[in-house]
Amino acid sequence: MAFWEKRRSALVLAGLTFFHIVLISVQVPRGAEKSLFERSIFFLFSPVQRAATGIVRGAGSLWNGYFDLRRVRADNLKLRREAFFLSQDVRYLQDRLVLRSSEEELQRNLAEFRGSVVAARTIGVDSANPYQSIVIDKGSLDGIAANMAVCDRFGRLVGRTIQPVSLKESMVQLVTDKDSSVSVISAVDGLTGTMTGLSRPVCELRYVLASAAGGQPGEELLTTGFDKIYPPGIRVGAIQSLAPDEASPVFRRIIVTPYFRFNTLDVVAVLTKGPGGGG
Amino acid sequence: MRETAFKDVLRAFAATLIAVLVYSLAGSATPGLLVVFNAFTVVVLYFSIRRGEVFGALLGTMCGLVQDAFSIGVFGVAGLTKTLLGFWTGYVSRRIDVAPFGRSALFMLVMSVLEMILWVVITAVVRLESVNLHGGLLLVQPLVTAVLAGSLFVLERRIRKRSARGG
Repeated sequence: MAFWEKRRSALVLAGLTFFHIVLISVQVPRGAEKSLFERSIFFLFSPVQRAATGIVRGAGSLWNGYFDLRRVRADNLKLRREAFFLSQDVRYLQDRLVLRSSEEELQRNLAEFRGSVVAARTIGVDSANPYQSIVIDKGSLDGIAANMAVCDRFGRLVGRTIQPVSLKESMVQLVTDKDSSVSVISAVDGLTGTMTGLSRPVCELRYVLASAAGGQPGEELLTTGFDKIYPPGIRVGAIQSLAPDEASPVFRRIIVTPYFRFNTLDVVAVLTKGPGGGG
Repeated sequence: MRETAFKDVLRAFAATLIAVLVYSLAGSATPGLLVVFNAFTVVVLYFSIRRGEVFGALLGTMCGLVQDAFSIGVFGVAGLTKTLLGFWTGYVSRRIDVAPFGRSALFMLVMSVLEMILWVVITAVVRLESVNLHGGLLLVQPLVTAVLAGSLFVLERRIRKRSARGG
């Protein structure tokens, strides 16, 4: 007892340091499942994050609501007009689709599509580096599981859901994260490769052979679906620059600017029935 | 003694909740704010000076692990660095006078710089990557963090003075 009293501080420090070293060691090399301990901490504290964001958003929307009310009448008239023309477009497109497939098949496809998107709000950003991950306010109770593609409000790829997924919150790995990989194809020249994040605002398109022709700055990249996580055809980003890779003569060094922006990530769509969603 | 330890755990838990709250508010305002200051470090620095090294280490562990849980990186890196930060901040602050604002801010600046260096080194070793400095913005983090933590002491002193006058 006297020994404990005398060396209390040193023993506490030694114990905690040892605990952390063991904790870090069991995860290296990376790629292991998230531990129950880590998931429990996320489970415990993510509702606090959710509440804090809710309060800020609530206050903000109350303020904006006043100003929005003044614009609502003009917007209402404009929207009515747009809705009229859009309904005409939808009817026209449906007619065209019916020509290609039976009505039953069309209805089935549409019903599947309607149920495959879960809208979610971003409630947090990665505490170490914002370009790695975000936290959204939908979880397993809303049908979210790991490896589901996540898009922004314009349908551009943001990333995929990863563990931990708690009851009402889940983590999303951004395409800009260093450990993220997306199989992509360029829209014009058909360059195929893997887009990998760099944990900064740009990504890299890897494994494009130096002998492969084509590709130009500004060319759009789309998902291929080969990775079995992201459905094919989702817009990911655009080529920023192309150069010979100094580290490897076999491949080209292609820098990509992802399309998503943090200021449009307040609402995201989780695709629950893509290749990764098990649907 | 057991009661004191239990109270310390509860206090550390409450302080961690405050850190999560501040971190969430900053992140929802703009993600860039999370680069400029670290809410968890502010809380660890403040409470370690107030309550000593054992509480600092305990709080550092809690805050660090929660910070890790909200990041995709290796779980435990921030836990380790913040445990050491909490312990040494509490330990040193009991041996030198850190009451004046300038001195406390400078002391906390040194401690948060040391914490950041340790975090960068461990991240580089564990994740095999260089840390994104966000165009040098990350280097401002210890300074802003120290000023914020120092301001908490100034605020606390003013509130005490005012309530003493009122009493």
